[in-house]
Amino acid sequence: MKEFKSGFFVGEESCNGRVLVVDDEADIRKVVRMTLQKAGYEVLEAENGEKAIETINSGENRLLLDVMICDIRMPKVNGIEAIAYFRQNYPRVPLIVLTGFPDTDMATSLLRQGVVDYLVKPVEGEKLKASVARAMEQRKLAPL
Amino acid sequence: MNTSRPVSAAPTRVAIIGAGRGGTALLDLLHQISAIDIIGIHDRDPSAPGLQRARDLHIPVVDQIDDLFRNRHTQLVMDVTGDPAMDQQLHREIRPGVDILSGSASRVVWELVRHESALQAELLHAEKLAGIGSFAAGITHDINNPLQLILGLAENLAEETDLHNVHEQAREIVDAVKRTTAICRDLTSYARRSATHQQSLVDINSKLDDALRIARYAVGFQDITIIKRYAPEATLKGNPDELLHVFVNLITNAVQAMEHGGTLTLRTTAEETAVSVHVSDTGCGIPPELLNEIFEPFFTTKPPGKGTGLGLYNIKHVIHQLHGTITVNSEVGSGSTFTITLPRASVTL
Ligand SMILES: Nc1ncnc2c1ncn2[C@@H]1O[C@H](COP(=O)(O)OP(=O)(O)O)[C@@H](O)[C@H]1O
Ligand SMILES: [Mg+2]
Repeated sequence: MKEFKSGFFVGEESCNGRVLVVDDEADIRKVVRMTLQKAGYEVLEAENGEKAIETINSGENRLLLDVMICDIRMPKVNGIEAIAYFRQNYPRVPLIVLTGFPDTDMATSLLRQGVVDYLVKPVEGEKLKASVARAMEQRKLAPL
Repeated sequence: MNTSRPVSAAPTRVAIIGAGRGGTALLDLLHQISAIDIIGIHDRDPSAPGLQRARDLHIPVVDQIDDLFRNRHTQLVMDVTGDPAMDQQLHREIRPGVDILSGSASRVVWELVRHESALQAELLHAEKLAGIGSFAAGITHDINNPLQLILGLAENLAEETDLHNVHEQAREIVDAVKRTTAICRDLTSYARRSATHQQSLVDINSKLDDALRIARYAVGFQDITIIKRYAPEATLKGNPDELLHVFVNLITNAVQAMEHGGTLTLRTTAEETAVSVHVSDTGCGIPPELLNEIFEPFFTTKPPGKGTGLGLYNIKHVIHQLHGTITVNSEVGSGSTFTITLPRASVTL
């Protein structure tokens, strides 16, 4: 039996939270998954913003998705558009940007929109995990 | 639309004597000018480099200098041999009414030609370097992605106990490093200053593929569908670096014209004597009144940082040097096709 606890589920296998990784490169999704799974997170993947929006709108993810990690340059719906959608429709889901291109103006504007962190690839596992942990704290505080 | 301009007066008919470095450069410059008609070239030395160049350009090579003198159409003889004896012979034997440009006068012309061709090369290079600024985002992205993979895998390897995983991930790291190396190789080959007039047999299809890879760094290809329709064999003689530059420019323009996505079609067609490259987009199109202007230097409709306005100007220059043509078909709102046709006759050289 799963038990709902302050914004996320804890099952039999201890799960620290459910993270959606959005990146058009399968390699990136793979290493992020590797790092976060070892830290006890459940990881979902989406290859662009459109798929990310589909994912959060499907079934239990509406409630159970805790954090989204999102690239900027992606086909179909890009990161900026996806982030705008998430901020508007799921404001309680903390967002982390993980991008290949450092752009100060964009970082400022995204952080102002409420993005938790703006990380530039390549990012070390420890730093990524710390960022996700911070996002989880925020998630727990947010009202449902 | 053809880029050659209508000529108002009848062209001046010029004969060139001397086919060494000076004569070759003169030939290259003069034949591009529609107001000048080169009726023949002569050199005592049948293996002078300019003679082969003349044959490539379909300019008559005159073996006997007397034939040049006797040609009734000649209006001006340009002597670039630098040989005082030739100067004297010209003044002695030439028909009255024919102008002679020789000695220091022809040296001045030769200096101007050299100056002009150095300027052109500089401009080409300057435009390339200006363009590289816009590559920064693409390159950083394409290098940082494999770096993320390498870092993630290496961190994992430090703890990995399954030997099978260790081997596989080590292999993935090697592949990722190769990918980043390939990016640097592409870029250095694009950015290098190309030796002018250095020609070799170029496979146009694979040059287009190279250009496509490089253009990805310059512009975002999100939501662009790419269609390739290549002729089975499309080779011609030309400067590979300059052709790469031409194709990168055309592809970049096409993608920039499709702000909200679309289809980029790269097509090559090959005939016995010529190869054509068609670059089509489904973008914004070009208003008819601008069709001539887009080939002018510094004409751009793009914001600073995105366009220099030198792309098509340089393309036109490179294409003319190869005796090709560039035409554009465009409709506002539905897209544009740029067609380059290049002779491959010179393959025989
Ligand atoms: N495929 C195209 N579709 C629409 N407009 C184009 C296309 N290619 C070129 N142009 C127009 O021609 C102008 C000049 O192009 P170019 O010489 O390459 O300079 P730049 O790309 O730096 O502006 C462009 O600014 C644009 O207005
Ligand atoms: Mg251009």
